[in-house]
Amino acid sequence: MAITSVKNLKEFSTANDRFEGAHTLCPGCAHSMIVRELMNCTDDNLVVTTNTGCLEVSTAVYPFTSWDTSWMHIGFENAASAAGGAEAMYKARKKKGTLKDNDAPVKFVAFGGDGSTFDIGFQWLSGAFERGHDFTYICLDNENYANTGGQRSSATPIGATTSTAQAGTHSYGKKEKKKDIVAIMAAHGAPYVAQLAPNKWKSMAKGFQKALETEGPCFINTVSPCCTEWRFDPKDTISITDLATDTLMFPIYEIIDGHELNILYRPKNVLPVEEYLAAQGRYKHLFKPENKHVIEEIQKNINEYWEMLQRREEARV
Amino acid sequence: MAEKFDLQEREVWDGNYAASQAMRQAKVDVMAAYPITPSTPIVENYGAYVANGYVDGEFVMVESEHAAMSACVGASAAGGRVATATSSQGFALMVEVLYQASGMRLPIVLNVVNRALASPLNVRGDHADMYLGRDSGWIQMDAFNSQEAYDLALCAFKIGENHSVRLPVMVHQDGFITSHTAQNVYPLTDEAAYNFVGEIDPVDDMLDFSRPVTYGAQTEEDWHFEHKAKQHKALMDSVPVIEDVFAEFEKVSGRKYKRVESYMMEDAEVAIVALGTTVETSRVAALRMREQGIKAGVVAPRVFRPFPFDEIRDALENVKSVAVLDRSSPGGAMGAFYNEVSAALYTTENRPLVTNYIYGLGGRDFAVKDAMDIFADQKANADAGHITTDIQQFSGLRGPKLGFFKTKRG
Amino acid sequence: MQDLKLCAQDKRGIHELEAGKDLIGWDEVTQGSVLPSFEGDASNVAHLKQEERCYSDFNSYTATVASWRVKKPVFNIDVCIDCQNCWVWCPDTSIISRDKQMLGIDYDHCKGCEVCVEVCPTNPKSLLMFAEQEDLETALSQWPEKKKKEK
Repeated sequence: MAITSVKNLKEFSTANDRFEGAHTLCPGCAHSMIVRELMNCTDDNLVVTTNTGCLEVSTAVYPFTSWDTSWMHIGFENAASAAGGAEAMYKARKKKGTLKDNDAPVKFVAFGGDGSTFDIGFQWLSGAFERGHDFTYICLDNENYANTGGQRSSATPIGATTSTAQAGTHSYGKKEKKKDIVAIMAAHGAPYVAQLAPNKWKSMAKGFQKALETEGPCFINTVSPCCTEWRFDPKDTISITDLATDTLMFPIYEIIDGHELNILYRPKNVLPVEEYLAAQGRYKHLFKPENKHVIEEIQKNINEYWEMLQRREEARV
Repeated sequence: MAEKFDLQEREVWDGNYAASQAMRQAKVDVMAAYPITPSTPIVENYGAYVANGYVDGEFVMVESEHAAMSACVGASAAGGRVATATSSQGFALMVEVLYQASGMRLPIVLNVVNRALASPLNVRGDHADMYLGRDSGWIQMDAFNSQEAYDLALCAFKIGENHSVRLPVMVHQDGFITSHTAQNVYPLTDEAAYNFVGEIDPVDDMLDFSRPVTYGAQTEEDWHFEHKAKQHKALMDSVPVIEDVFAEFEKVSGRKYKRVESYMMEDAEVAIVALGTTVETSRVAALRMREQGIKAGVVAPRVFRPFPFDEIRDALENVKSVAVLDRSSPGGAMGAFYNEVSAALYTTENRPLVTNYIYGLGGRDFAVKDAMDIFADQKANADAGHITTDIQQFSGLRGPKLGFFKTKRG
Repeated sequence: MQDLKLCAQDKRGIHELEAGKDLIGWDEVTQGSVLPSFEGDASNVAHLKQEERCYSDFNSYTATVASWRVKKPVFNIDVCIDCQNCWVWCPDTSIISRDKQMLGIDYDHCKGCEVCVEVCPTNPKSLLMFAEQEDLETALSQWPEKKKKEK
């Protein structure tokens, strides 16, 4: 595979963008930072499929497309199947020699938001991974159905308010824990699974390259802060992501072949989760005295998860 | 290279086997499928061809019918030949993606082995699934027996992949009655079949990176209407291509297909209009009616979509009384097929009397006697000059007689 | 000094995104609503800079979102260290970097989110937000001095 150098940002910046501007994602949206970086990581031909969601409705609004590669959207749930189908066709045509350029390397990538990945498209994702298609699935995890105005998904964390799990006089927002999608995808035995964040551009770029290079289905969950629904100033997208990774709300790690876990980022100073929560409107209500226990619970969950990750990393099993 | 499959000049195949052989001979590049009764054997047979080296293409066994059609859409946009099969609930699960496939103008071939839709659950043949697809923008062709399931499947690729069509095509056959009944089938040789179908020439190929394309753009109120109108026009305009392909197929097979198959209609006074295996039953009944001196005939759309409004009209305009048979629960209306035939006949000079029979739901047997009774009703209507029964009746239903609406004519 | 004309091709930002413009009839829309991104052979596009590509009119590169902006980032090349932070985190592909050098802002595609200003590490910053109507000269003349580190 032809990869772009990600040794340092200067080298990386020589990549020629294949994700164009004048898409209609919100100003400051992390989705496009992540998508741009993926597409800048390689100069191989790409077939990209995308589930319905913010990315899809903002990058292919007739008569415009922001994609400089082959791209397809079918429905909310089936980008993984579409990528699998296209990948199968690639294999069939390569064998028959009916491709226009039979030697050019092609990579297959599917994007989905957390709603389509964790919820409505989960079956399609799981099926595609079991079948072992050679593709990379990237979840743009903004922890809610942002495209439809911020409803709860199974990626929404405890305590966040969303329009369908609202904080109010009788509620502190979502009551249930976020689904552990990384563990679930690793349990499929996928050769490469990771959780990455755009503020750590280098580990993200390397993770993307590893996924693209690895044969078989690879899964990457990326934290994609949503200024609109998380309620922060668009300029702060990267600083919020810094808080997400430094509080370990989003630990950065990879799991190889379903078992070998490597932590990719260890904050020098782990920050208390309050700092992350306080920076976002969706957690504002947690700072009322009666909801203090929720913050404590979130911190406890973070500590336990980090402990688990470290022990798994040590154990090498 | 695929292994050579030995074929006899005359084979004894059920409809499923016939369809799967057509998929093999067309050298499908990707079949993405999920099993469901009664279409499962199409997928199983294909699996056997894969296991024994008779096909070169990819066989992707997915986790649901929705994923099957989704993978077909991805595969088809990637420029090769694509086919799958399904029935009933699986068809229902696919519906979302059926609309996507036709909207993106992808020439996927779907073998639909017709079966009832639950609830209550039923695995037998009726046309509920076929009707569910009627607004999906696909070409729909209807086989009445195993030979036709094979022939039409070959024609389907050639029609759908034609550049002036570029639409997905369903080939329907009746669950069990066709799909599981072994009949004589005269296949083409592999060479003749493939020569007939030809190579696929991709359009907007996702694997042609000299011309990257975006599939599945969003179109709101400022664009959607124009796209749907263009798609509808393409479906309506597929008629001459369908006719050409049928003519070409006749040359290689000797078997002649028409968009509307008429049987003893030249001088018919009464007619049954039906789909699927019921057509053959009705033909036998028509012969018997003729023995009784009643000029009976049968009209059957071979091509259900685009609906042969013109040919239905031509076939039936001089008949006195017509029975349109719907093998699908009408859900609070006249049968959909009845409505479509009636609309066509309303624009004729003579405006024949048209009545509607709901029959055969969930695989309920429809015998020659049932068809003869329906012809007898039509004869009574013809003699009276008006509809003498309820306009909608139920044939073969137990319990008190069920019917709806009386005529206001005559 | 910051002349970006060389990096913009004729087609950049020539279309408005808003509905009601350039509408054509059913007979002219693309088959299957498929949109080709380029005109001519685009095999080599990953190795071409934007200004070297033959974009089709369907490519959003040819559209503009300039009207979304109320404030704009202004780039001061004299302070910039070419770290490329702004390039990597721009969500709108609006930082024009060529040969490892930051050249300026693509104002057809910038939505004014201010991320580039936030991630700029220089002192003073090499990117600052100004009112949309402010001209470059005036903006540069108002550039702040280097801030002393707070103790």
